[in-house]
Amino acid sequence: MLSRFLIITFILLLQSSCNFAQTDWVKWNAQEVSYTIDDQVKPNKTAVNQTFPLTVVSFFRNLYGLFISDLDGDNCPFYPSCSNFFVQSVGEAGLIKGSLMFSDRFLRDLNLLKGKNQYPLYKIGKFYDPPYNYTLSQEKIIYQIPGKVID
Amino acid sequence: MKGFLINNKFLFCIYFLFLLPIVLYSQNYIDQQNLFSPESRLKFGSYLYSEEDYLRASVEFREYLKYVDNDTVRFKFATCFYKIGRFQEAADNFKGLFTSRNLQQESKLAYYKSVFFQKNYSLFRISFNNEFHIPWDYKDEIKRLYYISFFFDNSVLPDTNNFFSSFPDSNKSVIKQFYFRKKFPEYKNPTTAALLSGLIPGLGKIYVGEITDGFTSLLVTGVLTFLAIDNFKHNHNFRGWLFAGLGAYFYGGNIYGSAAAAQIFNAGVKFNFDSDVRLYFEKRNYLLPEIKL
Repeated sequence: MLSRFLIITFILLLQSSCNFAQTDWVKWNAQEVSYTIDDQVKPNKTAVNQTFPLTVVSFFRNLYGLFISDLDGDNCPFYPSCSNFFVQSVGEAGLIKGSLMFSDRFLRDLNLLKGKNQYPLYKIGKFYDPPYNYTLSQEKIIYQIPGKVID
Repeated sequence: MKGFLINNKFLFCIYFLFLLPIVLYSQNYIDQQNLFSPESRLKFGSYLYSEEDYLRASVEFREYLKYVDNDTVRFKFATCFYKIGRFQEAADNFKGLFTSRNLQQESKLAYYKSVFFQKNYSLFRISFNNEFHIPWDYKDEIKRLYYISFFFDNSVLPDTNNFFSSFPDSNKSVIKQFYFRKKFPEYKNPTTAALLSGLIPGLGKIYVGEITDGFTSLLVTGVLTFLAIDNFKHNHNFRGWLFAGLGAYFYGGNIYGSAAAAQIFNAGVKFNFDSDVRLYFEKRNYLLPEIKL
């Protein structure tokens, strides 16, 4: 008799627990989640326009890197380094304009008195001097405060 | 064990009778409160608002406003967007309060502020010039904001008399400085810099303030020119042409670089002006009153 009573009580307890358990699940209205990537945030995988001059300049830059720069060490006080600046300039503005940008950079590099009153600092302590500031396009210039450290 | 159970069955019955209702009604207290009623939403939203958790507060206010139309809550709802920098949504919601009885003036002021901080200065000026829902209680503030907006874009600055008269005397001297800095910026002309470097290598760089770069350019091109002439004189034509070519290359690069340096200089002038103006007005809350509900 007692055992029957206990069983019934147990079932009732269990039933009541089951009835009222997890009610939050209904209340919070769980949303269906879509994992498809939105068009706007799809990574842009378009390749950089690899022009012939850029290919040639990149080739010579690699030769320079292999036979001179890697042996000489990381001595350029700028970021990007002068050789990379040349490649990026040609990619940014074409061969003629890129060459002029490089010669200007080279002259600035020869200035022994250059300092952080002229250039912002890259996080590794070099002067940050990107080529897009020298394309003669006012819209492309991103001004950074000289001496400020950039991540 | 069995004997124990049989002997104490009454106690067990009592025990289970107590336990059963506890389990049955354990969750019901929360149900009775109905945390998702409009009133609870409002309470929670107001708490979040006071804690400056504006994003979540806006969600609670939105739910509340589905059931109850309340201007104060609607104003707070719009303010949430304003505070988190969603100025377009803020402006849209403030617009809905233009016919409100109590918050009409404040919502119009907040609308103009939202448009201003959205950096939609042209819309701001068109609205002001056409007297689109001008809050007459705050007309002076809006007028000041109207004139401040000219500092932030490339529009032509208005006449000085009207401009300065709208600012309090304590700010006038600084505003005058900003006005003339904007009107007559100390820009360097890239063409002049390039021409000067064409005349004397490095002079364009000195003109834009890059003095050491200028002297370096002069030195390098000078040395290369000297080497070219000297080699030609001594009939070393190959070396002569080599140094002449290098000299011409750096000469051209220096002319180009002087123009680029002038542009960077101008970008710096603009940047410094913008940051000075923004800092000045932000510190003073754009000379606007703080609305507290």
